[in-house]
Amino acid sequence: QRHSQQDSHVQYERVGADVTMKCGSMDWDAAVTWTANGTDIDESHLNGSYLILKNVGLSQSGQYFCYEGSSWHLKYQTNLRVGTPPKEPVLMCRSNNYPKGFYCSWHLPTPTYIPNFFNISVIHGTKDMVCEKDSPPKNRCHIKYLQLFSTVKYKVTLTVTNALGKNFTTLTFDEFAIVKPDPPESVVAKPVPNNPRRLEVSWQNPSSWPDPESFPLKFFLRYRPLILDQWQHVELSDGTSHTITDAYAGKEYIIQVAAKDSDIGTWSDWSVAVHATPWTEEPKHLTTEAQITETTSVSTSSFMAPPTTKICDKGAMVGS
Amino acid sequence: MAAADSPSAALRRRDLCSRGIRLAGKMRADVVDLLDAYVEQQGLDASASVAAVEGVPLAAVERWDEQTGTQRLLENLAAYRAFRALLAQMLEEQREQLGEADAGLGRALAAVLLQVSAFAYHLEELLRLESRGIPGEEEDGPPPPPRLSRFEQKLRGLGVLRELAHWAVRSERQLAKPSPASGAAPGLAESP
Repeated sequence: QRHSQQDSHVQYERVGADVTMKCGSMDWDAAVTWTANGTDIDESHLNGSYLILKNVGLSQSGQYFCYEGSSWHLKYQTNLRVGTPPKEPVLMCRSNNYPKGFYCSWHLPTPTYIPNFFNISVIHGTKDMVCEKDSPPKNRCHIKYLQLFSTVKYKVTLTVTNALGKNFTTLTFDEFAIVKPDPPESVVAKPVPNNPRRLEVSWQNPSSWPDPESFPLKFFLRYRPLILDQWQHVELSDGTSHTITDAYAGKEYIIQVAAKDSDIGTWSDWSVAVHATPWTEEPKHLTTEAQITETTSVSTSSFMAPPTTKICDKGAMVGS
Repeated sequence: MAAADSPSAALRRRDLCSRGIRLAGKMRADVVDLLDAYVEQQGLDASASVAAVEGVPLAAVERWDEQTGTQRLLENLAAYRAFRALLAQMLEEQREQLGEADAGLGRALAAVLLQVSAFAYHLEELLRLESRGIPGEEEDGPPPPPRLSRFEQKLRGLGVLRELAHWAVRSERQLAKPSPASGAAPGLAESP
Protein backbone atom coordinates (compact mmCIF):
# COMPACT_ATOMS: atom_id res chain seq x y z
CA GLN A 1 0.00 0.00 0.00
CA ARG A 2 1.64 3.36 -1.16
CA HIS A 3 1.78 6.15 1.46
CA SER A 4 2.17 9.86 0.56
CA GLN A 5 4.61 11.94 2.52
CA GLN A 6 6.72 13.75 0.04
CA ASP A 7 7.40 17.04 -1.67
CA SER A 8 5.68 17.50 -5.02
CA HIS A 9 5.80 20.30 -7.62
CA VAL A 10 5.74 21.04 -11.33
CA GLN A 11 9.00 20.63 -13.19
CA TYR A 12 9.46 22.27 -16.62
CA GLU A 13 12.03 20.92 -19.01
CA ARG A 14 12.91 21.75 -22.61
CA VAL A 15 12.30 19.24 -25.36
CA GLY A 16 15.57 17.38 -25.90
CA ALA A 17 16.96 18.07 -22.45
CA ASP A 18 18.49 15.35 -20.21
CA VAL A 19 16.62 15.20 -16.88
CA THR A 20 17.75 13.73 -13.57
CA MET A 21 15.31 13.31 -10.73
CA LYS A 22 16.31 12.56 -7.15
CA CYS A 23 13.94 10.53 -4.96
CA GLY A 24 13.39 13.28 -2.45
CA SER A 25 15.76 12.83 0.50
CA MET A 26 16.59 9.22 -0.25
CA ASP A 27 20.27 8.26 -0.53
CA TRP A 28 21.75 7.43 -3.88
CA ASP A 29 22.02 3.78 -3.02
CA ALA A 30 18.58 3.39 -1.49
CA ALA A 31 16.17 0.86 -3.02
CA VAL A 32 13.33 2.72 -4.70
CA THR A 33 10.60 2.32 -7.32
CA TRP A 34 9.77 5.04 -9.89
CA THR A 35 6.47 5.24 -11.73
CA ALA A 36 5.35 7.50 -14.58
CA ASN A 37 1.61 8.05 -14.92
CA GLY A 38 1.05 4.92 -12.86
CA THR A 39 3.42 2.66 -14.76
CA ASP A 40 6.61 1.33 -13.19
CA ILE A 41 9.73 2.64 -14.87
CA ASP A 42 12.29 0.14 -16.12
CA GLU A 43 15.50 -0.21 -14.05
CA SER A 44 17.53 0.76 -17.12
CA HIS A 45 16.48 4.38 -16.49
CA LEU A 46 17.84 4.37 -12.97
CA ASN A 47 21.26 5.33 -11.68
CA GLY A 48 21.07 4.16 -8.08
CA SER A 49 17.91 5.81 -6.80
CA TYR A 50 18.13 8.63 -9.40
CA LEU A 51 15.83 8.61 -12.40
CA ILE A 52 17.64 9.57 -15.63
CA LEU A 53 15.63 10.69 -18.65
CA LYS A 54 17.69 11.39 -21.77
CA ASN A 55 16.60 13.75 -24.60
CA VAL A 56 13.08 14.14 -23.19
CA GLY A 57 10.19 14.43 -25.60
CA LEU A 58 6.70 15.86 -25.25
CA SER A 59 5.26 12.42 -24.62
CA GLN A 60 7.30 12.14 -21.42
CA SER A 61 5.29 14.86 -19.76
CA GLY A 62 3.34 13.44 -16.82
CA GLN A 63 3.17 12.57 -13.13
CA TYR A 64 6.33 10.93 -11.74
CA PHE A 65 6.32 9.19 -8.33
CA CYS A 66 9.17 7.67 -6.29
CA TYR A 67 8.47 5.14 -3.53
CA GLU A 68 10.84 3.85 -0.86
CA GLY A 69 11.64 0.24 -1.76
CA SER A 70 10.27 -1.84 1.10
CA SER A 71 7.73 0.40 2.84
CA TRP A 72 6.27 1.87 -0.38
CA HIS A 73 6.36 5.27 1.22
CA LEU A 74 5.89 7.94 -1.44
CA LYS A 75 9.07 9.97 -1.17
CA TYR A 76 8.89 12.19 -4.21
CA GLN A 77 6.32 13.31 -6.76
CA THR A 78 6.60 15.73 -9.62
CA ASN A 79 4.52 16.83 -12.56
CA LEU A 80 6.99 16.89 -15.45
CA ARG A 81 6.00 19.37 -18.18
CA VAL A 82 8.12 19.11 -21.33
CA GLY A 83 7.90 22.12 -23.65
CA THR A 84 9.74 24.91 -25.44
CA PRO A 85 10.54 28.56 -24.76
CA PRO A 86 8.26 30.99 -26.66
CA LYS A 87 9.24 32.19 -30.13
CA GLU A 88 8.72 35.86 -31.10
CA PRO A 89 4.96 36.38 -30.90
CA VAL A 90 2.94 37.59 -33.89
CA LEU A 91 1.15 40.85 -33.05
CA MET A 92 -1.48 42.68 -35.07
CA CYS A 93 -3.28 45.92 -34.22
CA ARG A 94 -6.30 47.21 -36.06
CA SER A 95 -9.11 49.73 -35.78
CA ASN A 96 -12.37 48.37 -37.10
CA ASN A 97 -14.46 50.80 -35.04
CA TYR A 98 -12.66 54.08 -35.76
CA PRO A 99 -12.70 56.61 -34.15
CA LYS A 100 -13.56 54.76 -30.93
CA GLY A 101 -10.34 52.83 -30.53
CA PHE A 102 -8.35 49.86 -31.75
CA TYR A 103 -7.59 46.33 -30.68
CA CYS A 104 -4.44 44.25 -30.70
CA SER A 105 -4.42 40.50 -31.04
CA TRP A 106 -1.53 38.07 -30.91
CA HIS A 107 -0.52 34.47 -31.19
CA LEU A 108 2.61 32.37 -30.99
CA PRO A 109 3.93 31.04 -34.28
CA THR A 110 4.50 27.62 -32.74
CA PRO A 111 3.01 25.98 -29.61
CA THR A 112 5.12 25.74 -26.46
CA TYR A 113 3.08 22.99 -24.77
CA ILE A 114 3.36 24.77 -21.44
CA PRO A 115 1.50 27.79 -20.03
CA ASN A 116 2.48 31.18 -21.45
CA PHE A 117 1.88 34.60 -19.93
CA PHE A 118 1.45 37.70 -22.10
CA ASN A 119 2.04 41.28 -21.12
CA ILE A 120 1.22 44.14 -23.47
CA SER A 121 2.18 47.79 -23.20
CA VAL A 122 0.76 50.55 -25.40
CA ILE A 123 2.53 53.90 -25.47
CA HIS A 124 1.37 56.97 -27.35
CA GLY A 125 4.14 59.52 -27.33
CA THR A 126 4.95 59.53 -23.65
CA LYS A 127 1.57 58.37 -22.44
CA ASP A 128 0.91 54.81 -21.27
CA MET A 129 -2.48 53.57 -22.45
CA VAL A 130 -4.68 50.92 -20.88
CA CYS A 131 -5.34 47.83 -22.96
CA GLU A 132 -8.51 46.11 -21.73
CA LYS A 133 -7.90 42.38 -22.13
CA ASP A 134 -10.58 40.03 -23.42
CA SER A 135 -11.18 37.04 -21.18
CA PRO A 136 -8.88 34.08 -21.97
CA PRO A 137 -8.34 32.23 -24.15
CA LYS A 138 -8.79 35.18 -26.50
CA ASN A 139 -5.36 36.79 -26.96
CA ARG A 140 -6.75 40.23 -27.58
CA CYS A 141 -7.12 43.58 -25.85
CA HIS A 142 -8.79 46.89 -26.63
CA ILE A 143 -7.55 50.46 -26.41
CA LYS A 144 -9.73 53.58 -26.40
CA TYR A 145 -8.47 56.63 -28.27
CA LEU A 146 -7.88 59.50 -25.86
CA GLN A 147 -6.79 61.76 -28.68
CA LEU A 148 -7.76 61.71 -32.31
CA PHE A 149 -6.03 62.78 -35.51
CA SER A 150 -2.65 62.58 -33.80
CA THR A 151 0.53 62.32 -35.85
CA VAL A 152 2.36 60.84 -32.88
CA LYS A 153 2.90 57.14 -33.47
CA TYR A 154 1.65 54.37 -31.20
CA LYS A 155 4.17 51.84 -29.89
CA VAL A 156 2.84 48.46 -28.77
CA THR A 157 5.17 45.96 -27.09
CA LEU A 158 4.05 42.41 -26.37
CA THR A 159 6.14 40.26 -24.04
CA VAL A 160 5.53 36.53 -23.65
CA THR A 161 7.01 34.53 -20.81
CA ASN A 162 6.88 30.90 -19.81
CA ALA A 163 8.90 28.72 -17.45
CA LEU A 164 11.48 28.04 -20.15
CA GLY A 165 12.05 31.51 -21.59
CA LYS A 166 10.84 34.89 -22.72
CA ASN A 167 10.36 36.76 -25.99
CA PHE A 168 8.79 39.96 -27.25
CA THR A 169 7.76 41.91 -30.31
CA THR A 170 7.08 45.59 -30.95
CA LEU A 171 4.77 47.36 -33.39
CA THR A 172 4.96 51.07 -34.17
CA PHE A 173 2.22 52.60 -36.25
CA ASP A 174 0.35 55.74 -37.18
CA GLU A 175 -3.24 56.14 -36.01
CA PHE A 176 -4.63 56.23 -39.56
CA ALA A 177 -2.61 53.29 -40.86
CA ILE A 178 -4.42 50.63 -38.83
CA VAL A 179 -7.94 51.70 -39.73
CA LYS A 180 -9.57 48.74 -41.45
CA PRO A 181 -13.36 48.33 -41.29
CA ASP A 182 -15.12 44.99 -41.08
CA PRO A 183 -16.69 43.78 -44.34
CA PRO A 184 -20.08 45.19 -45.36
CA GLU A 185 -23.06 43.22 -44.05
CA SER A 186 -26.42 41.99 -45.37
CA VAL A 187 -25.29 41.90 -48.97
CA VAL A 188 -28.28 41.17 -51.24
CA ALA A 189 -28.32 40.75 -55.03
CA LYS A 190 -31.57 40.58 -57.01
CA PRO A 191 -32.52 40.36 -60.67
CA VAL A 192 -34.32 43.40 -62.13
CA PRO A 193 -37.61 42.31 -63.75
CA ASN A 194 -37.67 42.79 -67.53
CA ASN A 195 -33.92 43.59 -67.53
CA PRO A 196 -31.94 40.52 -68.62
CA ARG A 197 -28.58 42.25 -68.11
CA ARG A 198 -29.12 43.90 -64.72
CA LEU A 199 -28.60 42.88 -61.13
CA GLU A 200 -29.40 45.08 -58.16
CA VAL A 201 -26.93 44.79 -55.30
CA SER A 202 -27.42 46.34 -51.84
CA TRP A 203 -25.55 46.06 -48.54
CA GLN A 204 -25.15 47.71 -45.16
CA ASN A 205 -22.30 49.42 -43.35
CA PRO A 206 -20.54 46.98 -40.99
CA SER A 207 -22.34 47.23 -37.67
CA SER A 208 -18.99 47.64 -35.91
CA TRP A 209 -18.40 50.99 -37.69
CA PRO A 210 -19.77 53.45 -35.14
CA ASP A 211 -20.20 56.75 -37.02
CA PRO A 212 -20.64 56.33 -40.76
CA GLU A 213 -22.06 59.83 -41.02
CA SER A 214 -18.90 61.58 -39.87
CA PHE A 215 -16.61 58.80 -41.05
CA PRO A 216 -18.21 57.79 -44.33
CA LEU A 217 -17.17 54.55 -45.96
CA LYS A 218 -16.57 53.98 -49.62
CA PHE A 219 -17.10 50.59 -51.20
CA PHE A 220 -15.59 48.25 -53.77
CA LEU A 221 -17.85 45.83 -55.54
CA ARG A 222 -16.56 42.84 -57.48
CA TYR A 223 -18.67 40.49 -59.56
CA ARG A 224 -18.23 37.77 -62.15
CA PRO A 225 -20.29 35.05 -63.79
CA LEU A 226 -19.54 31.67 -62.24
CA ILE A 227 -18.40 30.44 -65.65
CA LEU A 228 -15.52 32.96 -65.74
CA ASP A 229 -12.56 33.61 -63.43
CA GLN A 230 -12.01 37.28 -64.18
CA TRP A 231 -13.65 39.67 -61.73
CA GLN A 232 -15.13 42.99 -62.73
CA HIS A 233 -14.75 45.81 -60.22
CA VAL A 234 -16.50 49.06 -59.49
CA GLU A 235 -15.64 51.60 -56.75
CA LEU A 236 -18.49 53.53 -55.15
CA SER A 237 -17.73 56.59 -53.07
CA ASP A 238 -21.11 56.73 -51.37
CA GLY A 239 -24.36 54.93 -51.03
CA THR A 240 -24.89 51.26 -50.19
CA SER A 241 -26.36 49.93 -53.42
CA HIS A 242 -25.42 49.55 -57.06
CA THR A 243 -27.03 48.23 -60.21
CA ILE A 244 -24.88 46.02 -62.41
CA THR A 245 -25.95 46.75 -65.98
CA ASP A 246 -23.62 44.61 -68.04
CA ALA A 247 -24.37 41.14 -66.70
CA TYR A 248 -24.45 38.22 -69.12
CA ALA A 249 -28.04 37.24 -69.67
CA GLY A 250 -29.05 34.09 -67.87
CA LYS A 251 -25.68 33.47 -66.22
CA GLU A 252 -25.36 33.03 -62.45
CA TYR A 253 -23.18 35.68 -60.82
CA ILE A 254 -21.09 35.75 -57.66
CA ILE A 255 -20.85 39.17 -55.97
CA GLN A 256 -18.79 40.54 -53.05
CA VAL A 257 -18.30 43.99 -51.47
CA ALA A 258 -15.45 45.55 -49.48
CA ALA A 259 -15.36 48.79 -47.48
CA LYS A 260 -12.82 51.48 -46.60
CA ASP A 261 -12.86 54.79 -44.78
CA SER A 262 -13.18 57.44 -47.43
CA ASP A 263 -9.77 58.89 -46.54
CA ILE A 264 -7.64 56.76 -44.31
CA GLY A 265 -6.61 53.20 -43.63
CA THR A 266 -7.03 50.09 -45.77
CA TRP A 267 -9.78 48.07 -47.39
CA SER A 268 -11.80 45.58 -45.40
CA ASP A 269 -11.81 41.91 -46.29
CA TRP A 270 -14.38 40.92 -48.90
CA SER A 271 -17.91 40.39 -47.70
CA VAL A 272 -19.63 37.04 -47.75
CA ALA A 273 -20.26 36.13 -51.40
CA VAL A 274 -23.84 36.23 -52.72
CA HIS A 275 -25.18 34.67 -55.91
CA ALA A 276 -27.81 35.91 -58.31
CA THR A 277 -28.91 35.35 -61.90
CA PRO A 278 -30.32 38.17 -64.04
CA TRP A 279 -34.01 38.09 -64.98
CA THR A 280 -34.85 35.87 -67.95
CA GLU A 281 -38.04 35.83 -70.04
CA GLU A 282 -40.55 33.04 -69.20
CA PRO A 283 -40.72 30.55 -72.10
CA LYS A 284 -44.06 31.14 -74.09
CA HIS A 285 -46.90 28.37 -74.04
CA LEU A 286 -47.00 27.10 -77.72
CA THR A 287 -49.00 24.30 -79.53
CA THR A 288 -47.19 20.86 -79.42
CA GLU A 289 -45.71 20.95 -83.00
CA ALA A 290 -44.46 24.51 -82.59
CA GLN A 291 -43.11 23.60 -79.19
CA ILE A 292 -40.93 20.78 -80.57
CA THR A 293 -39.32 22.98 -83.25
CA GLU A 294 -38.99 25.88 -80.77
CA THR A 295 -37.31 23.73 -78.06
CA THR A 296 -34.71 22.29 -80.50
CA SER A 297 -33.70 25.77 -81.67
CA VAL A 298 -33.76 27.25 -78.08
CA SER A 299 -31.70 24.43 -76.59
CA THR A 300 -28.86 24.90 -79.10
CA SER A 301 -28.75 28.70 -78.64
CA SER A 302 -28.71 28.65 -74.82
CA PHE A 303 -25.30 26.90 -74.88
CA MET A 304 -23.71 29.49 -77.19
CA ALA A 305 -20.28 30.63 -75.92
CA PRO A 306 -20.39 34.11 -74.18
CA PRO A 307 -19.50 37.14 -76.38
CA THR A 308 -15.78 37.33 -77.25
CA THR A 309 -15.14 41.00 -75.97
CA LYS A 310 -12.65 40.97 -73.05
CA ILE A 311 -14.25 42.03 -69.81
CA CYS A 312 -11.72 44.69 -69.30
CA ASP A 313 -11.85 45.86 -72.97
CA LYS A 314 -11.36 49.55 -72.89
CA GLY A 315 -14.57 49.97 -74.82
CA ALA A 316 -16.66 47.77 -72.45
CA MET A 317 -18.50 49.91 -69.90
CA VAL A 318 -18.01 48.72 -66.32
CA GLY A 319 -21.30 49.47 -64.58
CA SER A 320 -23.07 52.48 -66.03
CA MET B 1 -25.41 82.95 -29.61
CA ALA B 2 -25.94 83.13 -33.39
CA ALA B 3 -28.98 84.96 -34.89
CA ALA B 4 -31.98 82.71 -35.46
CA ASP B 5 -31.36 80.80 -38.68
CA SER B 6 -33.04 81.94 -41.86
CA PRO B 7 -33.61 79.06 -44.28
CA SER B 8 -31.27 80.67 -46.80
CA ALA B 9 -28.52 80.98 -44.19
CA ALA B 10 -28.96 77.33 -43.25
CA LEU B 11 -28.86 76.30 -46.91
CA ARG B 12 -25.81 78.49 -47.45
CA ARG B 13 -24.12 76.90 -44.44
CA ARG B 14 -24.92 73.40 -45.57
CA ASP B 15 -23.59 74.22 -49.01
CA LEU B 16 -20.42 75.71 -47.57
CA CYS B 17 -20.03 72.71 -45.27
CA SER B 18 -20.36 70.12 -47.98
CA ARG B 19 -18.00 72.07 -50.23
CA GLY B 20 -15.63 72.42 -47.32
CA ILE B 21 -15.71 68.67 -46.72
CA ARG B 22 -14.90 68.00 -50.35
CA LEU B 23 -12.13 70.62 -50.34
CA ALA B 24 -10.62 69.07 -47.20
CA GLY B 25 -10.79 65.63 -48.81
CA LYS B 26 -9.05 66.86 -51.95
CA MET B 27 -6.47 68.73 -49.86
CA ARG B 28 -5.84 65.57 -47.86
CA ALA B 29 -5.16 63.52 -51.00
CA ASP B 30 -2.83 66.20 -52.44
CA VAL B 31 -0.95 66.61 -49.17
CA VAL B 32 -0.41 62.85 -48.90
CA ASP B 33 1.00 62.82 -52.44
CA LEU B 34 3.15 65.84 -51.68
CA LEU B 35 4.36 64.22 -48.47
CA ASP B 36 5.50 61.12 -50.37
CA ALA B 37 7.32 63.24 -52.95
CA TYR B 38 8.82 65.47 -50.24
CA VAL B 39 10.17 62.54 -48.23
CA GLU B 40 11.73 61.02 -51.30
CA GLN B 41 13.19 64.25 -52.70
CA GLN B 42 14.56 65.40 -49.37
CA GLY B 43 16.09 62.00 -48.65
CA LEU B 44 14.12 61.58 -45.46
CA ASP B 45 12.92 58.38 -43.75
CA ALA B 46 9.16 58.10 -44.12
CA SER B 47 8.84 56.35 -40.75
CA ALA B 48 10.96 58.90 -38.89
CA SER B 49 9.32 60.29 -35.80
CA VAL B 50 9.37 64.04 -35.86
CA ALA B 51 9.07 65.80 -32.52
CA ALA B 52 6.43 68.50 -32.35
CA VAL B 53 7.84 71.45 -34.25
CA GLU B 54 7.31 74.85 -32.71
CA GLY B 55 4.65 76.83 -34.48
CA VAL B 56 3.13 73.83 -36.27
CA PRO B 57 -0.48 73.34 -35.11
CA LEU B 58 -1.09 69.81 -33.82
CA ALA B 59 -4.06 68.01 -35.29
CA ALA B 60 -4.37 65.78 -32.23
CA VAL B 61 -7.41 66.66 -30.15
CA GLU B 62 -9.19 65.11 -27.21
CA ARG B 63 -12.99 64.72 -27.28
CA TRP B 64 -12.91 65.91 -30.86
CA ASP B 65 -16.66 65.79 -31.21
CA GLU B 66 -17.59 67.63 -28.03
CA GLN B 67 -16.40 71.03 -29.20
CA THR B 68 -19.10 73.44 -30.29
CA GLY B 69 -19.35 74.33 -33.92
CA THR B 70 -17.77 77.72 -33.37
CA GLN B 71 -14.91 76.33 -31.33
CA ARG B 72 -14.12 73.95 -34.16
CA LEU B 73 -14.24 76.69 -36.75
CA LEU B 74 -11.99 78.97 -34.73
CA GLU B 75 -9.45 76.22 -34.04
CA ASN B 76 -9.48 75.11 -37.66
CA LEU B 77 -9.07 78.67 -38.89
CA ALA B 78 -6.14 79.37 -36.59
CA ALA B 79 -4.48 76.16 -37.78
CA TYR B 80 -4.89 76.80 -41.49
CA ARG B 81 -3.63 80.37 -41.13
CA ALA B 82 -0.54 78.96 -39.45
CA PHE B 83 -0.13 76.40 -42.24
CA ARG B 84 -0.47 79.14 -44.82
CA ALA B 85 2.52 80.95 -43.30
CA LEU B 86 4.53 77.75 -42.83
CA LEU B 87 3.94 76.57 -46.40
CA ALA B 88 4.83 80.01 -47.76
CA GLN B 89 8.08 79.80 -45.77
CA MET B 90 8.75 76.29 -47.11
CA LEU B 91 8.10 77.47 -50.66
CA GLU B 92 10.51 80.35 -50.23
CA GLU B 93 13.21 78.08 -48.80
CA GLN B 94 12.55 75.61 -51.58
CA ARG B 95 13.09 78.22 -54.24
CA GLU B 96 16.22 79.58 -52.58
CA GLN B 97 17.97 76.20 -52.61
CA LEU B 98 16.89 74.22 -55.54
CA GLY B 99 16.01 76.60 -58.29
CA GLU B 100 14.42 74.75 -61.17
CA ALA B 101 15.75 71.31 -60.22
CA ASP B 102 12.78 70.65 -57.99
CA ALA B 103 10.22 72.72 -59.76
CA GLY B 104 7.78 69.85 -59.50
CA LEU B 105 7.96 69.84 -55.71
CA GLY B 106 7.69 73.62 -55.69
CA ARG B 107 4.56 73.51 -57.86
CA ALA B 108 2.99 70.88 -55.64
CA LEU B 109 3.80 72.96 -52.57
CA ALA B 110 2.29 76.02 -54.21
CA ALA B 111 -0.85 74.07 -55.13
CA VAL B 112 -1.32 72.89 -51.55
CA LEU B 113 -0.68 76.40 -50.27
CA LEU B 114 -3.46 77.59 -52.55
CA GLN B 115 -5.85 74.98 -51.18
CA VAL B 116 -4.95 75.84 -47.61
CA SER B 117 -5.65 79.51 -48.31
CA ALA B 118 -8.95 78.63 -49.96
CA PHE B 119 -9.93 76.46 -47.02
CA ALA B 120 -9.04 79.21 -44.54
CA TYR B 121 -11.25 81.60 -46.50
CA HIS B 122 -13.98 78.96 -46.45
CA LEU B 123 -13.81 78.76 -42.68
CA GLU B 124 -14.02 82.52 -42.43
CA GLU B 125 -17.18 82.39 -44.53
CA LEU B 126 -18.66 79.83 -42.18
CA LEU B 127 -17.80 81.97 -39.19
CA ARG B 128 -19.45 84.97 -40.82
CA LEU B 129 -22.56 82.85 -41.26
CA GLU B 130 -22.44 82.13 -37.56
CA SER B 131 -22.45 85.93 -37.12
CA ARG B 132 -19.12 85.47 -35.47
CA GLY B 133 -16.37 88.03 -35.69
CA ILE B 134 -13.40 86.76 -37.69
CA PRO B 135 -10.27 86.88 -35.54
CA GLY B 136 -7.73 89.27 -37.03
CA GLU B 137 -4.69 87.72 -38.64
CA GLU B 138 -2.31 89.31 -36.16
CA GLU B 139 -4.29 87.90 -33.25
CA ASP B 140 -3.39 84.32 -33.92
CA GLY B 141 -1.07 84.49 -36.81
CA PRO B 142 2.06 82.43 -36.01
CA PRO B 143 5.38 84.19 -35.22
CA PRO B 144 7.75 84.05 -38.23
CA PRO B 145 9.58 80.65 -38.10
CA PRO B 146 13.17 80.96 -36.83
CA ARG B 147 16.06 80.55 -39.32
CA LEU B 148 16.93 76.86 -39.34
CA SER B 149 19.70 74.74 -40.74
CA ARG B 150 18.98 72.96 -44.00
CA PHE B 151 18.35 69.62 -42.27
CA GLU B 152 16.16 71.28 -39.63
CA GLN B 153 14.16 72.88 -42.42
CA LYS B 154 13.61 69.47 -43.99
CA LEU B 155 12.42 67.98 -40.70
CA ARG B 156 10.15 70.92 -40.06
CA GLY B 157 8.73 70.52 -43.54
CA LEU B 158 8.04 66.87 -42.81
CA GLY B 159 6.32 67.82 -39.56
CA VAL B 160 4.27 70.51 -41.29
CA LEU B 161 3.03 68.22 -44.05
CA ARG B 162 2.25 65.38 -41.67
CA GLU B 163 0.24 67.57 -39.37
CA LEU B 164 -1.54 69.15 -42.33
CA ALA B 165 -2.47 65.71 -43.68
CA HIS B 166 -4.00 64.85 -40.31
CA TRP B 167 -5.67 68.26 -39.99
CA ALA B 168 -7.38 67.72 -43.33
CA VAL B 169 -8.98 64.52 -42.01
CA ARG B 170 -9.91 66.27 -38.78
CA SER B 171 -11.47 69.20 -40.61
CA GLU B 172 -13.48 66.91 -42.85
CA ARG B 173 -14.85 65.04 -39.88
CA GLN B 174 -15.48 68.11 -37.80
CA LEU B 175 -17.38 69.76 -40.62
CA ALA B 176 -19.44 66.59 -41.03
CA LYS B 177 -20.13 65.92 -37.37
CA PRO B 178 -23.05 67.79 -35.83
CA SER B 179 -21.89 69.43 -32.64
CA PRO B 180 -23.59 68.73 -29.32
CA ALA B 181 -26.96 70.51 -29.11
CA SER B 182 -26.71 71.93 -25.60
CA GLY B 183 -25.77 75.59 -25.67
CA ALA B 184 -23.69 75.24 -28.76
CA ALA B 185 -23.71 77.47 -31.74
CA PRO B 186 -25.57 75.83 -34.59
CA GLY B 187 -23.66 72.85 -35.71
CA LEU B 188 -21.77 72.91 -38.94
CA ALA B 189 -23.80 70.30 -40.67
CA GLU B 190 -27.02 70.34 -38.69
CA SER B 191 -30.23 70.74 -40.51
CA PRO B 192 -31.84 74.20 -39.97
